[in-house]
Amino acid sequence: MEPNELERFERMVLPHLDSAYTVARYLTRDDDDAQDVVQDAYLRALKYFSGFRGDDAGSARAWLLAIVRNTAYTWRHRQRDAALATEFDEEHHSAAVAGEHPAAALDRTAARESLHQALDRLPSEFREVIVLRELEGLSYKEISDVAAVPVGTVMSRLSRARRRLQEALCAGEEER
Amino acid sequence: MTHQEFELYLDAYLDGELASEDARAVEAHAKDCRDCARLQGTRIALSTTLREQVPRFRAPDALRTRVQTALRAAAGAPVSARRVPPIVWRVLALAASLAVVAVGSWRMATNGAAGQALAEQVLTSHVRSLMPGHLTDVASSDQHTVKPWFNGRLDFSPPVYDFATRGFPLVGGRLDYLGGRSVAALVYGRRQHMVNVFLWPSTAGAMGERVATRQGYHLLHWATAEYVYWVASDLGLAELHEFAGLLRQADSAAASSNR
Repeated sequence: MEPNELERFERMVLPHLDSAYTVARYLTRDDDDAQDVVQDAYLRALKYFSGFRGDDAGSARAWLLAIVRNTAYTWRHRQRDAALATEFDEEHHSAAVAGEHPAAALDRTAARESLHQALDRLPSEFREVIVLRELEGLSYKEISDVAAVPVGTVMSRLSRARRRLQEALCAGEEER
Repeated sequence: MTHQEFELYLDAYLDGELASEDARAVEAHAKDCRDCARLQGTRIALSTTLREQVPRFRAPDALRTRVQTALRAAAGAPVSARRVPPIVWRVLALAASLAVVAVGSWRMATNGAAGQALAEQVLTSHVRSLMPGHLTDVASSDQHTVKPWFNGRLDFSPPVYDFATRGFPLVGGRLDYLGGRSVAALVYGRRQHMVNVFLWPSTAGAMGERVATRQGYHLLHWATAEYVYWVASDLGLAELHEFAGLLRQADSAAASSNR
């Protein structure tokens, strides 16, 4: 690779490291896995960088996040293959990770805990649209590029994801 | 507009993604329907709570360093060597250096077979140091941190300089093993390139500079009355010579002030 090509990559793609880590973190629900996914995704991004045609920060971020997302899913499949099915029981896995959440440790308000748990328990196709929209502030068009689904699907997934979160929150309040 | 339609459009409306005509229909319905207006209120509250209470993470510094190092190694290394385990890297590096011997294309006039073997080791060490996590044992741009770090780890105290103002900032140092002895490895940066400086006490006296080039890496080798130097990098030869010049200048300045 040409030295100035690496420089261009570092200038355009490296600033989105926090976004990459945030998305990886919510998709894997594990800090170590998220770090490995991010490193792997950056190496893949470097490899495919010559095919990237965008020239602004927004498109570079969406492009990178699409790679992070794919890497995280590949990663999860590999883990699944390696682990016994019972060890990857969705409910069990999410509950364990939600309990360790640093934000949860910092502030043990019930509202925050239950919102985290609710988010971590969402199926990944709902979780990812919430993270991309609410935390990363991506437009529907950008989310559709990242998640490789039509804009209409982004819209309906976001709507259903929010309804589920809302229901989970209400249920949590009723229990108390 | 029905309740179902309202709920279907509400999220897109709140996200500012709805066409203006549909947006007006949503607004009109919310004005007339108390239940839907309440739903809108809870959705707004949910978004606010999410943004306030579910964190956007900051990448740990260690991850930042790891990613940067991996990128540099990947960009500087031969094509297929991207996502391969460290052991494969080592084998590749070794294969590369063996190929060097086989082809016999070193242009370095080293002292026979021993010099050749040493050149291979220097190249292998340099390539290995570029693998994630292998670059430095002590990472600091402060020469007064790096130099004392070698105390008790080596039987000599290597001269450490910082050429940040000349465009070669100190990155750190580590222990390495070359030619059957422990040596100091100092790492300097130049843009995204890394320069490894290997040195140990000289036994054979001063020697002029020798140059070798192989597969994009340049090796410079010289000796002062005090130290044997090997410098390895993927930098251009002109810049590497500039760097070697700085090192020699600093060495002779230090030597004359000791006199």
